Amino acid sequence: MARKLQITVNHDLCVGNAMCETIAAKVFILNDDRQSEAKYPDADTEENILEAAENCPVSAIKVVDADTGETLFP
Amino acid sequence: MVTTVADDMFTGDAISDPYSYYGKLRDEDPVHWNELYELWVVTGHDDLVWMTRHHELFSSEFWKRDQRSPYPAIDESDMGLYQFMREFFMDWFIQHDRPVHTDQRKVVHKWFNPNSMELWRPMVRSVIKDCLDEADASGHMDVMRDFATPLPLFVIAQMMGMPHYDRKFIRSMAEKLLFIGRGETDRMQPLTEAIKEFIEYLTPLVEEKAAKPVDENDLLSVLASGEKTGALTRDEVVADAILLLLAGHETTINLICNGTLAFTQHPEQWKILKEGRLEEPDAITRATEECLRYDPPVKSIQRVASVDAELGGKLIREGDRIRWFISSANRDPKKHDNPDTFDISRWPNTHVAFGSGIHHCLGATLARLEGQEAFKALAERYDNIKVETNEFEYQPSITFRSLKTLPVSLT
Repeated sequence: MARKLQITVNHDLCVGNAMCETIAAKVFILNDDRQSEAKYPDADTEENILEAAENCPVSAIKVVDADTGETLFP
Repeated sequence: MVTTVADDMFTGDAISDPYSYYGKLRDEDPVHWNELYELWVVTGHDDLVWMTRHHELFSSEFWKRDQRSPYPAIDESDMGLYQFMREFFMDWFIQHDRPVHTDQRKVVHKWFNPNSMELWRPMVRSVIKDCLDEADASGHMDVMRDFATPLPLFVIAQMMGMPHYDRKFIRSMAEKLLFIGRGETDRMQPLTEAIKEFIEYLTPLVEEKAAKPVDENDLLSVLASGEKTGALTRDEVVADAILLLLAGHETTINLICNGTLAFTQHPEQWKILKEGRLEEPDAITRATEECLRYDPPVKSIQRVASVDAELGGKLIREGDRIRWFISSANRDPKKHDNPDTFDISRWPNTHVAFGSGIHHCLGATLARLEGQEAFKALAERYDNIKVETNEFEYQPSITFRSLKTLPVSLT
């Protein structure tokens, strides 16, 4: 079974580039300010989520193993 | 609302001090109809961010959709050249809206992501070392000519696999392309000359890359792979290659030059940078962001309304053209405390030097990396950087904030 992820988007950094939404649309939803929120962390594969995080142009996305606390990205 | 600001954006005052000119507009009429250019001028931070994040209302297809006369006016006999220029710019990926823009940006987006860019840091350091070693021999340099220009030009040319002896040619073409932001009535001449020469230069290079399997270490090859996936046509690959070459160095030139000038004018900030006494994020990171905020490389960008839309209480009609100003948004007192103060400790620094939304600058991480390494090297190497002139002359551009020269002594 896939491990549970805790995904956070730093809104001091997020510029609404929406590449995360393009790569993992089921997970990342833009809010009313058009900033990204990781609404559904279980809705896509870990690989896609990490790719979305890696392609954030301002490194606003952090991905952590929810059970162990291990940082998976950055 | 009536404003006391004259509509001509190319006066000596507006060029030398955009912060007063656009700042006054922001304070008096933040969404201003400029009658002279038939153009909405957006100058406040919040309006700018809202607009750039509502790309479905404000289109990036400027050259395709704008039906009004060129502004400022051009020679009547150059309308054919104007049309040629428009058609060329329409091929740039940044001149598209979703979904085409996303498909095209994705071809090269990964190349520029923060992890990928880190791999280039050692090379950036080595180019900086070479530039500064040379400057040390005389104790003087023109920051523009000897440091700010060669560094990013070398890096983008290297990324795209251009032979080193072509850098001079690339720069001279870029200088002509920069007429895009100027006001001379005969500006279409140098501009279209450069487009034609650039296309001629890049077409065989793109042809060569497109014929081979994609080389992930070569940006031009990666870009050309977009043709194989159907995201780009051959003409679009060539046009985007020109865009990457131009935008890949022109903006960073200004970051390094304007930032260095700011430090020479604020010795107490230079001292903080040298001593590095700031908490995470470190002084270099904060300083680079503050340089981007305080005297940003790009002054303004265009959009065109794709529907009737309200912005700042004004009704913007479908087809209206709009220019949003980073210079004034980055000094907006509603967003930044003491906005006219150069303060490298400022954090978080929510400037909009790279725009915002889906069109946020593709090369932002590269610009940051080069800026960080440049300021770091200057701070490590020199106690004093003294400007050897009292006159600062800027290129007469509405788009770029570019010093012509910046002669300094180094001790």
